[in-house]
Amino acid sequence: MMVAEPGLAVLAVCLPLLYPVMALRANWHRAMCFALPLLPLPAFFLAVSSDSGWQLELPWLLNGGLWAMDDLRRLFLLLTAVLWTVAGVYAVGYLALPHMRRFCVCWGLTLAGNLGLTMAVDIGSFYSFFALMTFAGYGLIVHEGTKEAHYAGRVYMAMAVLGEMSILAGLLLAASAADSQLLTDLPTALARAPQRDLIVALLIAGFGVKAGLPLLHFWLPLAHPVAPTPASAVLSGAMIKAGLLGWLVTLPFGEVALSGWGASMVIAGAVGAIGAAILGVLQHRPKAVLAYSSISQMGLMVLMLGAALADPERAPVLFSVIGLYALHHGLAKGSLFLSAGVSLPAGRMGQVVTWILIALPGLSLAGLPFTSGALAKLAMKAGLAEDSLDFALAGYLPPLMTAGAIATLLLVLRYLWTLSAKLETGHNPPMLLAGWLAAVTASLIAFWWMPWDVAGLVKAPVWLPASYQVWALVWPMLISLALAGLALLVNQKRSSARS
Amino acid sequence: MTLWLMAGLLFTPLAWAVLTLLTDFVWGRRVTWVGILVQVFVSLGLWLTVAQNGGFYYDLGGWGAPLGIELRVDGLAVTFVLLTAAVASACGLHAGVYIDRHKSWHRYFWPLFWFLWSGLNAVWLGGDLFNLYVGLELISLSAVGLVALGGNANALRASIRYLLAALLGSLAYLLGVALIYGQFGTLSIAGVVLWLDSHSASAGPGLALALMVTGLALKTALFPLHRWLPPAHGIAKSPVSALLSALVVKASFYIAARLWLAFGESLGNQAAAQAVGFMGSAAVIWGSWLACKQVQLKQVVAYSSVAQIGYLFLLFPLTYSVSDSISLQAQQGITLQVISHALAKAAMFLAAGNLILSVGSSRVDALAGVSRFLPFSLFSFGLAGVSLMSLPPSGGFAAKWLLLQASLGSGQWWWALVLLAGGLLSAAYLFRIYRASFAEIPETDQFFHPSKSLEVIPMVLALMALGLGFVSEQVLSVMALPFAEEGAP
Amino acid sequence: MTLEQWLPVFALMISLAASLVIFALPETGYVRRTSVNLGAAVLKLVVVIVMVWGVFHGVNYGVSFTMLPGVTFVLRADALSMMFAGLSAVLWLLTTIYAVGYLEDSPNRRRFFGFFSLCVASTMGIALAGNLFTFFLFYEMLTLSTYPLVVHRGTEKALRAGRTYLIYTLTGGAVLLFAIAWLHSLAGDLSFRDGGHFVDADPDIHRSLILIFILLVAGLGVKAALFPLHGWLPQAMVAPAPVSALLHAVAVVKAGAFGIVRVVYDVYGVEASSALGLLAPLSWLAAFTILYASTRALWQVDLKRRLAFSTISQVSYIILGIALAGPLAAVGGLVHLLHQGIMKITLFFCAGNYAETLGIHRIDEMDGAGQRMPGTSVAFTIGAFGMIGAPPLAGFITKWVMGSGALAVNMDWVILVLVGSSLLNAAYFLPIVHRLWFREVKGAWPEERHWGRLETSPWLFWPPLLTAVVTVVIGVLASLPFSPLSWAELIVLREYAP
Repeated sequence: MMVAEPGLAVLAVCLPLLYPVMALRANWHRAMCFALPLLPLPAFFLAVSSDSGWQLELPWLLNGGLWAMDDLRRLFLLLTAVLWTVAGVYAVGYLALPHMRRFCVCWGLTLAGNLGLTMAVDIGSFYSFFALMTFAGYGLIVHEGTKEAHYAGRVYMAMAVLGEMSILAGLLLAASAADSQLLTDLPTALARAPQRDLIVALLIAGFGVKAGLPLLHFWLPLAHPVAPTPASAVLSGAMIKAGLLGWLVTLPFGEVALSGWGASMVIAGAVGAIGAAILGVLQHRPKAVLAYSSISQMGLMVLMLGAALADPERAPVLFSVIGLYALHHGLAKGSLFLSAGVSLPAGRMGQVVTWILIALPGLSLAGLPFTSGALAKLAMKAGLAEDSLDFALAGYLPPLMTAGAIATLLLVLRYLWTLSAKLETGHNPPMLLAGWLAAVTASLIAFWWMPWDVAGLVKAPVWLPASYQVWALVWPMLISLALAGLALLVNQKRSSARS
Repeated sequence: MTLWLMAGLLFTPLAWAVLTLLTDFVWGRRVTWVGILVQVFVSLGLWLTVAQNGGFYYDLGGWGAPLGIELRVDGLAVTFVLLTAAVASACGLHAGVYIDRHKSWHRYFWPLFWFLWSGLNAVWLGGDLFNLYVGLELISLSAVGLVALGGNANALRASIRYLLAALLGSLAYLLGVALIYGQFGTLSIAGVVLWLDSHSASAGPGLALALMVTGLALKTALFPLHRWLPPAHGIAKSPVSALLSALVVKASFYIAARLWLAFGESLGNQAAAQAVGFMGSAAVIWGSWLACKQVQLKQVVAYSSVAQIGYLFLLFPLTYSVSDSISLQAQQGITLQVISHALAKAAMFLAAGNLILSVGSSRVDALAGVSRFLPFSLFSFGLAGVSLMSLPPSGGFAAKWLLLQASLGSGQWWWALVLLAGGLLSAAYLFRIYRASFAEIPETDQFFHPSKSLEVIPMVLALMALGLGFVSEQVLSVMALPFAEEGAP
Repeated sequence: MTLEQWLPVFALMISLAASLVIFALPETGYVRRTSVNLGAAVLKLVVVIVMVWGVFHGVNYGVSFTMLPGVTFVLRADALSMMFAGLSAVLWLLTTIYAVGYLEDSPNRRRFFGFFSLCVASTMGIALAGNLFTFFLFYEMLTLSTYPLVVHRGTEKALRAGRTYLIYTLTGGAVLLFAIAWLHSLAGDLSFRDGGHFVDADPDIHRSLILIFILLVAGLGVKAALFPLHGWLPQAMVAPAPVSALLHAVAVVKAGAFGIVRVVYDVYGVEASSALGLLAPLSWLAAFTILYASTRALWQVDLKRRLAFSTISQVSYIILGIALAGPLAAVGGLVHLLHQGIMKITLFFCAGNYAETLGIHRIDEMDGAGQRMPGTSVAFTIGAFGMIGAPPLAGFITKWVMGSGALAVNMDWVILVLVGSSLLNAAYFLPIVHRLWFREVKGAWPEERHWGRLETSPWLFWPPLLTAVVTVVIGVLASLPFSPLSWAELIVLREYAP
């Protein structure tokens, strides 16, 4: 297996890169479209079948390449592969547009970048894949060609380029401080570097653009609604996580206590989690609501990141929680986005089932018991438990998490509300339906077999929260339900008053 | 052997002249072909002799100085003899095709041509002041005749003007010669030098030198005495212009330079040397500027001669009271400048003649589109221009490099600025012509194609000017050969 | 003469001979002309490859003879020369192929190809020159042989551009000549030598050395288009596309930059130049040029003019890398000599393709051109991203190495320049890429021509695609032996440990 894994890794990256070459033949675009779901398969096998720990040295690559796998990367690789597969299936049914060839090429390039960056350990290839994903992603966002899409694309590009440059500067400084071209050497060197704060700031800001850090998030709510639905799903589910991964592999976690940066990140996370919810419930388009929801969820992850920055002892534990949370959110958000494009079946029964399947991943985000969300929320709670954290702001974290949970559900409800106004009855293309169902399945069922790790945080069986925990999960949900009901009443009054 | 060579150089041209005087144009041409062949071989023979054995003094017919004809055969002289052979043969061959044989007065071209050649050789080899004068007069008179061959009123007017200038110059020179003879009782340059070495100088010979140099400067058309040159060179037939610009003006400069190098150190002074240098610089700038303003193609080339001649006079300041090595550098630079200018300017006039022939107009802006139809002649013109602009690898560049070194080495950096500015200005007027030829104006598709031989000749000359840079070391090494002193008076 | 002596002469003579043969052939013999051209280009590439191999293994190629009293003509191949020679050999072949297609059925092709070969011979001479005198020889020859190419179209605009070009380059040449002559009279005939000649120069001549350096850089800076001597370059854009490609990517601007590298490295020596305090101002000037020209590029509406300003900016990278006086930064600068060449020639080829196939010259006419000409547009996109410095393309390698090098010598401000330049590059290239791929075609193309199966003539189609592939390959495989990066490292190794 040790020989096969590096080969599989190369195949995983190169397969999607074939698309630009294939595009040179004018009449292959149908085939390219149908092959979309096949592209991430090698990566999927790699994530599922291999253990962490392999390495692939590519001394001729850039400044000397090294690809490798560890637990965290494996989780991100799996998330990426699964999401892109289901989105690919969905896309086969969804795409009936002009410029299919262009879309397929951009898709392939973005996918290659997204997969590659999870495996790359040397700075050169990591940054290359990251940039590839960023630039090719532009093609997915502006694909529809509307004025709005072009505007969103422009904002995205401007911010992305700024982000890339910030990353470039940060990585340059970091690499020169570490005198190494490997990401693994950066955290240690960063902890001791004289320009530590500058480097950390540059990296946080650079990856923050991708991860939707508050004030760096502007492109997200613009881009998600206008992109084709499968593209929004991967944008929000997988690509946004690349920014997170970027933080995780470059910042000096576990090396030194950066309480100042930790506090700033916690504040940023809180602003993101709650502010995005406030803005999100005011949106009218379902995908815009989901975009804000993503920002809000990323805010919660940033919260954990801040805590990990501040407390080097706790960082390893928080890492696995962040990985788990990212996986959970990616899958759930992916299925939510995909659901924005389905049509309701004609039968009553079918409609109910469809609505349930649409709502379940959303409720999972909010922490509905027996879902991945419940597990993630509990793990987060345990991870950020006040008494185990050596951090000045530790006391503020639990209420923030609660507020975040309320915000999450409110956004999900808002999404369902806006979606209900928009969903039409009709026939779903089979592939589209298959893609969406696969996404929901992955989020609700397959998740439990994925290699996340909550050892020591949440007791098994993990899908059965203990009774005291049920209440902890449910009361924020009740509050948000009450709020939503209130909003509904107000809305009805207003509309009756108007009529 | 040497006797035959000397006779071949000095007297056979006279024989050809007499012979061609008796024939019509076509026969004159045939005689000339034979003559050119002989001259080239004799010149080469002499050059080889000197290259092997070094230079020597030769008393023609056994009568030496102070009264007889004394010849000074050194590396520089034979180099110029060879240069003359090359340029004059080229012009002669070109003229044979170029000049319209149906006009009766054109048959006088041949005798004049041969008189000119003979005079040139006399000047290069002359070792005493009077013989130099004779050679100079021979050159001037035949040159005036050649200009007058143009036939129309303008040509006559220009030739009369030329004649007046030449006579005035000769007069001044002759006066100087008389003063020298009165003072020293000898006309041999070497004799005068011997005398000067053992006596302290007085004011009289200084005045004589000044007179001679002024007269020669007038004949060389040094600024501000240049006004006669552009009309004469511009109006003459192209092969004639080529001869005049390439060789005739060089003859008077050659004498001036010989005099300066021989007497300058003892008779001249710093102010005079600098003054001549400044006049040379003014010629470079002013001549180039005027060349930029001309509308006639050949006028541009003629004014370019005024400018290029200016460089030559930098010899005066750069050899006066400087170290021997710098003086040598300057002399070498000037020699190369003479050679490369001769080759390049001849090529340029001949090529310009072809261009004018083919577009049927002598205006610069009539050249539009010619680069499409007459690239060969234009190319020759361009290559010659490279040397005139003193861009590498031409002989002009080698000359400029040596002069730059000399001026920087002697601390007279202002001449370096003149050299650079001159190069740029020459580019300005030459590229004006290229520019015109590159213009694409659709109506101008009517061109006359001159015969191949007309096109080849300027190309050969231009290539020689261009290649000179690569062989300058060899050329200069012949000049530096040891001089056999036993024949000296 | 031995083979070691013959090869450099041979490499030089191939293009020279090709040029003469082309001039001798009649205008209509285009099959013969094309075969001579391509044959010579391939032959030269082979010779250069042999020499690269030899230089790598330490063979000394060289020949010299005395040209003037005290002055020698030296042809010599070292690692740095082979970098430039290799670039010019490779791009000559491609540009020739391209030019054959581009000038199909246009007048004056004999003149064009003749001077074109002459121009390449000059670059070869510049690359192989072994002292400043020889360098100057070919430097001026380059000026002369490119003039007919710039004015090739013969329009009023072309002639005016030609004049500007000459005023700049000839004046620069004169200044350079003065400086070289001065240096010669001060220190004699200096051949290029790793480590330079003035490491322990007499303090008395320091002032003169500084002045000479300024003059040298001013003279060379004209061709390298250093601010404020860059004015000729955007105007020269009226030339046919292959000329712009060659002028901008290889011959003229690179000759200037290469000359500055030679002066700093092999005449003065890095140590001496930085001890004389010459390199810091040079680096500021280069940095300013980078940012200034990129800013100017933003406002250009003509595609080729925008590319021209981009060239001005990019060439200064080379100078910046050298001026930082650190080995790693120098690698970054030197490698950009090749990288910029390949990337920029790609862009110019593409610009030529758009002009020739669709009649597009302005950026606002390019909407949707990606659908009509996908191959060309892919090449353009790769070239543009390379210029921005997006990884893993060639431009990124430059930026990364130079950035690391700048940090290694504690010149942190360079990072700001690199980032600023990348941002500006993105700001003027990405809108074009956007128009190519994501805008709908506005209507009929200004002057569309059809070639059947391919989007354009095959002569025009393949060269940009090939250079685009090379742009990717030399970026991705930067660490292979004989890659530009490895070769630049070899040069710097030899310079710093002579």
